[in-house]
Amino acid sequence: MCTAPPRLDMSDLSKNAQCVLKILEDSESLTTTEILGIAATEKYAKLCVDCAGGDAFVAAANQLVEKGLITKKFGKGGYRWQLAKD
Amino acid sequence: MVDWTKIRSDFPALERTINGRPVVYLDSACMALKPRQVLKAMNEYYELYPACGGRSIHKFGEEASNAYTAARGKFAKFLNAADEAECIWTRNATESLNIVASSVKLPKDSKIITTSLEHHSGSLPFVERARRDGLDIEIVKAQPDGTFDIEDWKNALDNKTSLVSVVHSSNVTGTVAPMKEIVELAHDRGALVMSDDAQYAPHHPLDVQALDVDFSAISVHKMCGPTGMGVLYGKLEHLESMNMALYGGDTVSDVRFENGKILPEYLPPPEKFEAGLQNYAGAIGAGAAAEYLQSVGMHEIEKHERSLLEVVLKKLLDMEHVHILGTDDIKIKTGLVTFNVDTVSSAHDVATFLNDEFNIMVRSGWHCVGPFHYQMGIDPKKGTARASFYIYNNQDDVDAFLSGMETLIEASK
Repeated sequence: MCTAPPRLDMSDLSKNAQCVLKILEDSESLTTTEILGIAATEKYAKLCVDCAGGDAFVAAANQLVEKGLITKKFGKGGYRWQLAKD
Repeated sequence: MVDWTKIRSDFPALERTINGRPVVYLDSACMALKPRQVLKAMNEYYELYPACGGRSIHKFGEEASNAYTAARGKFAKFLNAADEAECIWTRNATESLNIVASSVKLPKDSKIITTSLEHHSGSLPFVERARRDGLDIEIVKAQPDGTFDIEDWKNALDNKTSLVSVVHSSNVTGTVAPMKEIVELAHDRGALVMSDDAQYAPHHPLDVQALDVDFSAISVHKMCGPTGMGVLYGKLEHLESMNMALYGGDTVSDVRFENGKILPEYLPPPEKFEAGLQNYAGAIGAGAAAEYLQSVGMHEIEKHERSLLEVVLKKLLDMEHVHILGTDDIKIKTGLVTFNVDTVSSAHDVATFLNDEFNIMVRSGWHCVGPFHYQMGIDPKKGTARASFYIYNNQDDVDAFLSGMETLIEASK
C-alpha cells in the first residue's frame, strides 16, 4: 500500500520560504528577479522580509527545491522557478 | 618560499567533497575558512581550561587569563599597535564601528565625512550619529572604478570636519583607498580617521602606527579567526576620552554604595570597553589567527592573492558578457573580483549555478553596499556576483572558476 509523504506544514518553513512559496502559488513560473520584485511589493510586505539584495529569499528558494516543494531550471537569462507538480 | 599546498592542507573544510566534487571556496570576503591551528587553540580552551579569565584565581582561571592576555598581545603585534590596551575585543567590525560612532567625542556643529563605497556598517553608524547630534554629514563619491579622487577629499575635508569614516579596501570593488593621504589631509584639518579594515587587514600588511589612523575596525572571522570576534583598534588617548558603550562587570575598578547611591569607578581601556564575561575562546582563536597569518607573512599573502587575481581579471575581461565592477589595476586591489553577466538576469543565478553545477562558492547580491550599487545604476534585485581569493586558493580554483563561468555563459544565452 502506497502512503503519501507527510505534508509539510507551512509553519515548518521559515518566513522567507513561506514568502517564496506564496509568490509562486500566485504565479505560473517566475525568474529570480521577478520573485524578488514581487517580494518587495505591499501585498507580501508582512511575509517577505529581507534586505533589497534578496540573498535570504534566494537561499530560501534553494531550500524549497531541496524539500521538493518547488523546482528550478536554468536556461536563457537564468533560473525559472515554479511549484513542484505532484 | 611559502608552501601554498601545505597552507591549503591546514584547512579541513577544503577536504570535503559535495556530490563527489571538491569544493572551490571563493567567498572569503564574507567569511574566511579556519585553519587547524586556530581550531586547536580554541578547542584547547574548551577542553582543558574552560574557565573565567581575569576573575577566578584557580589553575583553570589562571590559564584562561594567561591565554586571553596573550591573545591580545598577539593581535596588537599583528597590527603593530603601540600598546596592547589599544586593541579592544568586539563581536565584529560592525560593533567596532558602532562603538566609535556612538562614543567618540565630536564637537557640536562639526561634520562627519564618509563615502558612497562604504559597507553599511561603515556608513550607517555615522549617519545615525550625525542625526542624533545634529552634525553635518558629507559623502565623498567613489569613482565608478571604486577608486577615490584625492581632489574630492581635499574639497570635502575642511576645518569643520571632525571625523572621517572610510573603507580601506572595498568589499565590492576590491580597491584599496589612498589611506595614508586621506589620514594626512584629515589630520591636517584636525579630523579623526576611522578606517574600516574588515577587508584590508586579512589580506595586506596593516601597520596602524605607520598609517597613523585613529581607529581601525577589524573582522576576525575574515582573517581565519572565529565568528563572533572583531577588534577595535584606537589610539589610547582617544579610547581614554571616549564614553563607554556598555556598562557592567569587568569595566570597573570599584563600585561603592554610599548615601543611597551606587558610585562606579571605571577601568581604563581596554577593560572599560569589554563589559561582562568575554568570548575567551574567540579571543584565543583571534590571537591564533593573527599569529597564523603572520607566520605565513602578510606581504606573501598579498602577493599570492594578487597573482591569482591577475589571471582571473585577464580572462574575465576577455569574456564576452562579463562586466567587472572596479579597477583592474592589481597594485591597488585586494584579491576579489565583482562582476555581472549580462546574459543572466540576477547575480544570484550566477552564484546558484556555479554552486549547483561545480561547487564553486561565490557571493551574490548587493554585499551590504547599497549606495555604490545605486550609484552604478545596479538594481539590488539584479545585484552583483563576487569571487574572493585567499591564502588557501590556488590555480586549480582559478581554472575551475573560469571554466564554470564559460559554462554558465553558454547555458544562459
